[in-house]
Amino acid sequence: MDASELHPILQFLQDRVPFDSLDEVTLCQCCKSLTIGYYGKAAGFVPLEPDNPQLYIVRSGAFEVRDKEGELLDRLGEGDYFGFPSLLSGEHANTQVAILEDGLVYHLPPEMFDLLRQKSRQFDRFFNRAFAKRLRHQGRFKAKDLTTTSRITSLMSQTPLTIDMKATVAEASRLMRSVRVSSVLVIDNHKLVGILTDRDLRNRVLAENLDGNLPVHQAMTTTPVVIESNALVFEAMLLMSAHNIHHLPVIENGQAKGIVTSTDILRGQSSQPLLLIGEIERQKDITSLIQVSKQIPLLLQNLISADARAEEIGRVLTSVTDALTRRLIVLNQQILGEAPMAFCWLAFGSQGRQDQAACSDQDNGLLLAHEPDEAAAGYFETLSRAVCKGLDECGYIYCPGDIMAQNPKWRMSLEKWQSVFDKWVNTPEPKALMHASIFFDMRSVYGPQSLFDGLQDSVLSKTKGNDIFLAGLTGNSLTSAPPLGFFRKFVLERDGSEVKGIDLKHKGNALINDIARVYALSAGIKEVNTAKRIRALMEQNIINRKDALNLADAHEFIAHMRLSNQGYQYTHSLPITNYLMPKSVSSLVRHQLRDAFKVVHDGQVGLKLKMMRSY
Amino acid sequence: MDVQTLTYLIVGLTFALYIGIAIWSRAGSTKEFYVAGGGVPPVMNGMATAADWMSAASFISLAGIVSFVGYDGSVYLMGWTGGYVLLALCMAPYLRKFGKFTVPDFIGDRYYSQAARTVAVFCAIFICFTYIAGQMRGVGVVFSRFLEVEVETGVYIGMGVVFFYAVLGGMKGITYTQVAQYCVLIFAFMVPAIFISVMMTGHILPQIGFGAELVDAAGNGTGEFLLDKLDGLSKDLGFAQYTEGSKSTIDIFFITGALMFGTAGLPHVIVRFFTVPKVKDARVSAGWTLVFIAIMFTTIPALAAFSRVNMIETINGPESKGVAYETAPEWIKNWEKTGLIKWDDKNKDGKIYYANGPESEMKIDRDIIVLATPEIASLPAWVIALVAAGGLAAALSTSAGLLLVISTSVSHDLLKKNFMPDISDKKELMFARIAAAMGIVMAGYFGINPPGFVAAVVAIAFGLAASSLFPAIIMGIFSKTMNKEGAISGMITGLLFTASYIVYFKFVNPSANTADNWLLGVSPEGIGLFGMMVNFAVAFGVSRVTKAVPQDVVDMVESIRFPKGAGGAHDH
Amino acid sequence: MNAIYLKLRLQLNALLCKQELIADYYRELSQQLSHSVSKMSFMAFDLEMTGLNSQQDQILSIGVIPITSGVLQLAKAEQLLVKIEGSVGNSATIHGIVDEQLVDAVSIEQAMQWFLAKTKGHILVAHHAPLDLCFLKADCLRWLGHEIQFVAIDTMALEKKRLLRQHDVLKEGSLRLDACRNRYGLPVYAAHNAAIDALACGELLLAQMAAIAGKDELAITDLMV
Repeated sequence: MDASELHPILQFLQDRVPFDSLDEVTLCQCCKSLTIGYYGKAAGFVPLEPDNPQLYIVRSGAFEVRDKEGELLDRLGEGDYFGFPSLLSGEHANTQVAILEDGLVYHLPPEMFDLLRQKSRQFDRFFNRAFAKRLRHQGRFKAKDLTTTSRITSLMSQTPLTIDMKATVAEASRLMRSVRVSSVLVIDNHKLVGILTDRDLRNRVLAENLDGNLPVHQAMTTTPVVIESNALVFEAMLLMSAHNIHHLPVIENGQAKGIVTSTDILRGQSSQPLLLIGEIERQKDITSLIQVSKQIPLLLQNLISADARAEEIGRVLTSVTDALTRRLIVLNQQILGEAPMAFCWLAFGSQGRQDQAACSDQDNGLLLAHEPDEAAAGYFETLSRAVCKGLDECGYIYCPGDIMAQNPKWRMSLEKWQSVFDKWVNTPEPKALMHASIFFDMRSVYGPQSLFDGLQDSVLSKTKGNDIFLAGLTGNSLTSAPPLGFFRKFVLERDGSEVKGIDLKHKGNALINDIARVYALSAGIKEVNTAKRIRALMEQNIINRKDALNLADAHEFIAHMRLSNQGYQYTHSLPITNYLMPKSVSSLVRHQLRDAFKVVHDGQVGLKLKMMRSY
Repeated sequence: MDVQTLTYLIVGLTFALYIGIAIWSRAGSTKEFYVAGGGVPPVMNGMATAADWMSAASFISLAGIVSFVGYDGSVYLMGWTGGYVLLALCMAPYLRKFGKFTVPDFIGDRYYSQAARTVAVFCAIFICFTYIAGQMRGVGVVFSRFLEVEVETGVYIGMGVVFFYAVLGGMKGITYTQVAQYCVLIFAFMVPAIFISVMMTGHILPQIGFGAELVDAAGNGTGEFLLDKLDGLSKDLGFAQYTEGSKSTIDIFFITGALMFGTAGLPHVIVRFFTVPKVKDARVSAGWTLVFIAIMFTTIPALAAFSRVNMIETINGPESKGVAYETAPEWIKNWEKTGLIKWDDKNKDGKIYYANGPESEMKIDRDIIVLATPEIASLPAWVIALVAAGGLAAALSTSAGLLLVISTSVSHDLLKKNFMPDISDKKELMFARIAAAMGIVMAGYFGINPPGFVAAVVAIAFGLAASSLFPAIIMGIFSKTMNKEGAISGMITGLLFTASYIVYFKFVNPSANTADNWLLGVSPEGIGLFGMMVNFAVAFGVSRVTKAVPQDVVDMVESIRFPKGAGGAHDH
Repeated sequence: MNAIYLKLRLQLNALLCKQELIADYYRELSQQLSHSVSKMSFMAFDLEMTGLNSQQDQILSIGVIPITSGVLQLAKAEQLLVKIEGSVGNSATIHGIVDEQLVDAVSIEQAMQWFLAKTKGHILVAHHAPLDLCFLKADCLRWLGHEIQFVAIDTMALEKKRLLRQHDVLKEGSLRLDACRNRYGLPVYAAHNAAIDALACGELLLAQMAAIAGKDELAITDLMV
């Protein structure tokens, strides 16, 4: 019978990398060779028959690959594969595949697998790469790195400039001039046959003293290096550097689909925020600065859609905020004149921790080198008011708790700041502990580092080893717990009858921030970024390596979920919140989320044990 | 309803109350309370501390000791109360300023030495073990009576309950649970005392009834005062006069001292001072704790005397000739099942008779006095049940705190800091639970084979604390010249001296445990004070011939002794 | 129903049956019943008909897919179009088969012969099996002049039993193939033909078997309702 009658299966495979690289006939053949099994959770593990290795293609459900020691190697959901290592290596499987959620699995017999590898280089490469990756025991919650996972299609120019091979170089040059590009693709009967670049015109036409009537195909670079449309940006970069070229035609089924240049790639990379920061630093007045700040939401959106790591996004956004703040201070000082003494602009809370997200409010303060006289006090009042107002206009709304430099309470000399922190440390009242989550995550955005160090060193020397303060801080941070109930079910938050979902920020990331803060203060670690704190704690052996990695992974994963959820809300014009409905994500993601929250829970238990001597 | 059903009911209700509070406070409603009220009010914290501090020993056994040995028993009252004052006023504020949560941490930092910390940890664990053993015995007595089993079986059941409560239940350490426990235990203690006081003297307050005239059934004064009657009875039956001591003055002095300095060195009570954010509040709550302890401690002598009179009269009958076993009151038969009362009809007259000397036919365990008092006085069944709940509350609140100290000391101070620095959180928690379980098992063993009565076992714990930890803490605060070598050798000699003295007289050669054989006439209960002196002497001696204290430690000691040192107690 | 009883009945049927083809069919089937369920051969099938009345309406298409050792064999999946008398008429809107497609189709007799040969030694599986069996029996009787008894698992009846056991209220449409599949997280198949529906039904059976069995060994009687 004709495999097209099993159209749903054919279609499913067609959409999968690397099956998408197969031609229709092969795909039908492959489709017909499949068998289908169903694996129920109660059975525990997928019975991998050592004598009958197959490629397993997950059609539904969720699975976990673990090695002999039970270490998690991979999490699989719809469209993922397992069983390929033994097919490739010919060795018996030394892994176990646990069934997390009932699922339907397609089995591809080994003969067909080998046939497909012979037929398609991409197919072969895909599984070899996946095999190598699994061997490296890649971490589980890792979100993707911007450079390595975005696809070439996100960068390439959609409609490539093409010219028939029989046209003249003069025509080609005119065409290139009119569109202002440096290359054109040469085609013959819809097939890509070459590429003509500025360099070709220079080297093969002008330098050879030929005239403009030369046909394009005599000047062009024939059989150019090309890239498939589903390749990764990262692969494009590799190709360019390997061949020392700047233009890469993108093809799909042999047809030119677009072109990627080295400039495109640069623009698509981290250069985007860098450009924005550069732009901020070039602005000469406050109004234009505010205008530039309008690009920030777009930047966030781009970062989210590029699947950047949440930690990177936080750092990038914060560095933009820092640049804006610095520029506002400089511009206002140009109006107000030189400051009467050295000072530091302090950033607290999320800006301090470098994990700002969409619509952050401002938390800041001013650290003065010494007690100001009346004139100096007036100067700083005007300056801080102007800067806070500027930030507000740039989209960082005034802090509802009034923790801002424009509030005289948070504009103090070094000595005063020290005594305020002393008071909080020595008398860990509830209010002081609430402040801790904001003020103890501080960073200097502007001003001499030595002044800021003077404050930070004295604070850390007070908190380090102060068990009573740390116990209070721990007790305070344990007042909220991750949203997992008995039997690891999600606890949804409600507002009256309306179910709001799980609060990824306050019941997830904030709790990890708290845990990292307590440990960091207990050890006198200067870092304020949560990921960096955890890394430092791990290096100093204060947190066990495994616990630390788990915590860092969970932090990244929950933050990533929060950002992608907000990206979804943004694109669907929904109100931006921290709430996620577990039902709206796949069962695999639900499992990972549950695991991440379990890590938060374990972290809290560990903290309580160490700091409060209780469990 | 019979007593047993009522006991199940009331004990069940109180447990439901504790669990309910634990859930309620977990649910986060305390957070709002916390923010609005600025922390746990000092009165509440005072109650919680009192619950932590009043153990099964004070609840079950203290009145028994006072009841049986009379005046001599009051050393416990004096020692424990005095110890608390010492702790609250002289030590807690300084330790707090030092910023350390536990005694071993203080000692480790003050004596700049991991070895000193480890020695302190061992001392603390040792003390806690001994203390819990006393609690186990108390819980065992409660269960044995109310489930009508042997006291050994009672201890096994008690081990299970305490393990569940302290290790799995997650109800401990929550201030409001402990407030509830205090309320239950003080109510359970006061109700029978008030009942009996009204019945015997017509006064509502037992403290007044203690010194008052006895009344007859019709409520008319008999002209005879309680203590006179008790003295008379004691004399007739060959006991020492109730209001007169039999212990030597030096022994009394030493026991009181050991208890007092021991209390101050107890690791699990000190923590309570640190959970209150402001030092001023800490002081106020310490004051309240003292009040709440006093309510019970002032009642103990009265209750002891009442039940003594009652007991002798019901056993020996109005003519002091004994009563026939068949007509003997129900409580005697009830308690016989537990093995804590034994009747041996020596003259085969079928009558029970109680006295001091070979002619006595009754053996009565002192630990039953408080629990049996409501029955002896024929109080309603619910009062009897209530007392059981009170005894459990006292034992649970104290054991939970002690087990936490043991388990986290083992897992964190010993394993994590000494042997396995790279241990994961999960493993640490697992070791903590294992340590708690082992603590309970060992305590259970001593609960079944007690080296003394509940209060006496606990007294040994205090003796160990006094001879090891107390001097190290005091010297750490008040001496700038005490170095690590001195402190470590002091702690070790103090602990070894005291422990071996106690072990010799209590276990190795119990028959020699008489005043004639004691060192300077000091009993094992009081030897802790002697051990403390040895500790001081060794510490000073060693510190003179070893390296001086580093300057930064000297500065640190100076800074904590500063008056404003009580941790920013000024203006806020 | 007891497996042994079923087996005996089939053997008895085989002895009594005069029609050699059918007797052989029974014999093969009864041998299947000696295996454990995990080793048994099943054949999921689906029919497309011109209507729902087995007396008037005719079979248009038959799709089959075997399950051996608990695994669906796509390689052996087949679909057959059957010639009919008259036109498909309005029913084309339901099954999407139009008259032109039936030009090369086989006759109903050939189809029945093919079906018996294919399903011999397999336990039949269908969603709402009684309806499909009605058509098959009627056509078989017409072709061979002899009654035939099929042994079939009805995934719909199985689902109904499971739902009722969980005290679920049966809602309108909750027993339709897609609704049942949805409960087990099975993918949605947009297209429909006899082969795909047979596949869908086979997958549903595997899911149901996993759910019923849990960790235990399954008995064939657990699947016959």
